[in-house]
Amino acid sequence: MNRKKAVQLLALVLAILWIAGCSGASEGSNNGGAGNNAAASGAEGKSDAAGESNNGTESGKPSELIYAVAKDTNDMNPHLYPGSMPAQGMVYESLVENTADGIKPLLAESWDISEDGKTYTFHLRQGVTFHDGEPFNAEAVKLNLEAVQANAEKHAWIKLSTQLEQVTALDEYTVELKLKEAYYPTLLELSMTRPYVFLSPKDFKDGGTKDGVVGYHGTGPYKLVEQVTDQFARFEANDAYWGGAPEIKQITAKVLPSGETTYLALQKGEVNFVFTDDRGTDSIDIDAMQRLVDSGDYQIVRSEPMNTKLLVANSSNTASPVSDKAVRQAIWQLIDRETISKTIFSGTETPAETLFSRNVPYADIELTPRAYDPAAAEALLEEAGWTSGGSGGIRAKDGKPLAIKVYYDVNSSSQKTQAEMLQSAALAAGMKLELVGEESPSIANRRSTGDYELLFNQTWGLAYDPQSTVTAFAAASSYRYTTSGIPQAEELYRMIEDVMVSTDETTRKQLYKDILTIMHDEALFIPLTNGAVTVVAPANLTGVAFKQTQFELPFEKMSYK
Amino acid sequence: MLSYLIKRVGVALPLLVVISFLTFGLNQLSPMDPAEVVLHAQEVPAITEELIAQTHAELGMDRPFLARYGDWLLSSLQLDFGESYITGKPVWSLLGPALVNTVKLTLISSFIIILLSIGLGVLCALREGKPVDLAVRGLSFLLTSMPSYWLAALMVWYFAVKLDLFPTSGMSSADSYVLPVSVLVIGYAGIYFRNVRSSMLSHLHADYALYGRACGLSERQVTMRVLRNSLQVSVSVFGLAIPIILGSTVVVENIFAWPGLGTLTVNSILGRDFPIIQAYVLVLAVAFVLFNTVSDLINAALNPRLRKEL
Repeated sequence: MNRKKAVQLLALVLAILWIAGCSGASEGSNNGGAGNNAAASGAEGKSDAAGESNNGTESGKPSELIYAVAKDTNDMNPHLYPGSMPAQGMVYESLVENTADGIKPLLAESWDISEDGKTYTFHLRQGVTFHDGEPFNAEAVKLNLEAVQANAEKHAWIKLSTQLEQVTALDEYTVELKLKEAYYPTLLELSMTRPYVFLSPKDFKDGGTKDGVVGYHGTGPYKLVEQVTDQFARFEANDAYWGGAPEIKQITAKVLPSGETTYLALQKGEVNFVFTDDRGTDSIDIDAMQRLVDSGDYQIVRSEPMNTKLLVANSSNTASPVSDKAVRQAIWQLIDRETISKTIFSGTETPAETLFSRNVPYADIELTPRAYDPAAAEALLEEAGWTSGGSGGIRAKDGKPLAIKVYYDVNSSSQKTQAEMLQSAALAAGMKLELVGEESPSIANRRSTGDYELLFNQTWGLAYDPQSTVTAFAAASSYRYTTSGIPQAEELYRMIEDVMVSTDETTRKQLYKDILTIMHDEALFIPLTNGAVTVVAPANLTGVAFKQTQFELPFEKMSYK
Repeated sequence: MLSYLIKRVGVALPLLVVISFLTFGLNQLSPMDPAEVVLHAQEVPAITEELIAQTHAELGMDRPFLARYGDWLLSSLQLDFGESYITGKPVWSLLGPALVNTVKLTLISSFIIILLSIGLGVLCALREGKPVDLAVRGLSFLLTSMPSYWLAALMVWYFAVKLDLFPTSGMSSADSYVLPVSVLVIGYAGIYFRNVRSSMLSHLHADYALYGRACGLSERQVTMRVLRNSLQVSVSVFGLAIPIILGSTVVVENIFAWPGLGTLTVNSILGRDFPIIQAYVLVLAVAFVLFNTVSDLINAALNPRLRKEL
């Protein structure tokens, strides 16, 4: 019996060991962890900023932001695309800045444009240095622009890369850019987060940047100090910043899966800042945001409309009913945008009536709205010969049923819900929609190969609209299949070419008006909602603002009360 | 024993070659042009025909399938799995650290799972039908049937947010291990202890145990013999448990933002980063084959009769 007891005791000891093992481990961390894991606990330890926190600077005022990101910060090389744009936006700067009031100076203090629109001369800000101490001068500008141009194929989306012919350093602080043709969005494209931003030439590998770089020193308000793959990236304020030292001294981008984990980390204060990521996905849902605000520790700040979420119809797919303009217009009128905005987005996205919202340059024009009106949609279909009476109440024309496949991003719950809403509205009107959820790369592939009928998409965003999106209408890799099926296609492509090189503002306005009117009439891009950037920030953080792009935030302007 | 070892390894090697071929081959079945996959993975905004052609050449994708497979296999043997499509970094520089993080999690969890399973299994077998046995089995049944993501969220909410004992996620300090390890242990110990228990029970009632008792062996001596015999089954089960846990930390890693293999692979699959996916499958397959072989060898060491088989 005693021996039985001994075995029993052994089992008990084992069970206790397990518990002890755990708590033993946590004690260990308190002693040894600080030294060993200085780096990691740097990101971790000072993380209480959300609440009425104690940590932060010596003065007792918190000065740190920790934001959650779903994907690793990745390669910070600003001349390629895998890196996180908000992070690149903190570290690197462009020559000029795009603001609500137009193009403003940044690293260039002023510029002259020649009569023919082909020569841009920039006068650089003096006394600016890269984070590694190298001077920012005309030579650095020339080297960076040439490094981008050396990889021009990858930058085909930005038309300037095909227009830029020569960069000359006229003197220490003057640079001249020569273009092949006049190209009006030059300044706009130079203001973008990438690729035309500046990295210390000392970081170049083999004299360039296309095969990687050896460091990440920009001129921006924050410097990258540490990066651990799939864990975090830490940025420190650049106290020598030419625009003045930022008040938020440390920013950490912490990799967290979206949803519950991020929400719990926000509740605990391990992260204290989230925003809609580059792809327009929210890290936490609207209910969770509201609960955080109700707790009193957080605030929600929302930007103006930044882009338009769309359904794209493939007009060149002649086998599909969507090649018929009437069908596209009918779908437009079957979408109840008010309800989508209210029930799916709780008002965070607003109904979109046109391809571009009116705050987009050149888009403030009169277009006939097509409101939600199922009866009108049915009348349109009837008139175009899609008569009812087919099997299952599905309309048909010349024996062809009115059945359409809709592709949505399987990772976006809002797209799926919208598709389902549209599906039931369409069915009531005698149109059968088949919903297909796929990963975003394969949606992108469908778009560029024309293998689709309808798919969910979005405009590029404020800094890129209208010029980049409009250029993409004609680009083979983007919307060529979408647009090429309409009778005015050739005329449209000619106008798109013209508008980019026109130097006269009035002509440009007229051309954009014509292009956007054709797009509206043909109903190739069926607008759903206008997306905005949503930020959840500590309640005592001030200066939470936005830039003219959904891909960056002006962290340097924020501070704690 | 040596000849057994050689035979056993002789079976494992061709298996690995087949697995590696399937791994490499399956990725070629993707309907998308691999060059396009690379460019999408790098988030190049506009992909032109010229760019695709250029990428084909850069990555050597124009070469025949078998030649590419051969090269990949040879370099894989030296842990050179090529470069990530997305970051351009060598795959091993991403996979290596992630593997270490996952192995840390797996080994700590497995160690506790094995100790706990044997402890609880022996306890329950010796106390068969008694309240202790019923209580342990009932509780383990309840805990094992909870989905791990749900249990994890619950534990984070209670222990990390409410009680503020541990961090909610990440791998910043030793504290960070407690919650993920607990979730894994709860999920698996409940299953494996039953295994030990039932095999203990069958041996406790076996003739040799009765004979031992009749010969006057003390109850402790009988138990030790029974344990040794009943562990044979468990060794192969545990041997496979480690790679199973290694592969199934995905859920736990994603909930706890653990920078391990699971997180890396899910991101790679979403980003179509094939070189990483290939390397991951290969590493995991090797782990399975390796642990299977090792557990067979341990069993052979425990039971000489097994060495004759195969």
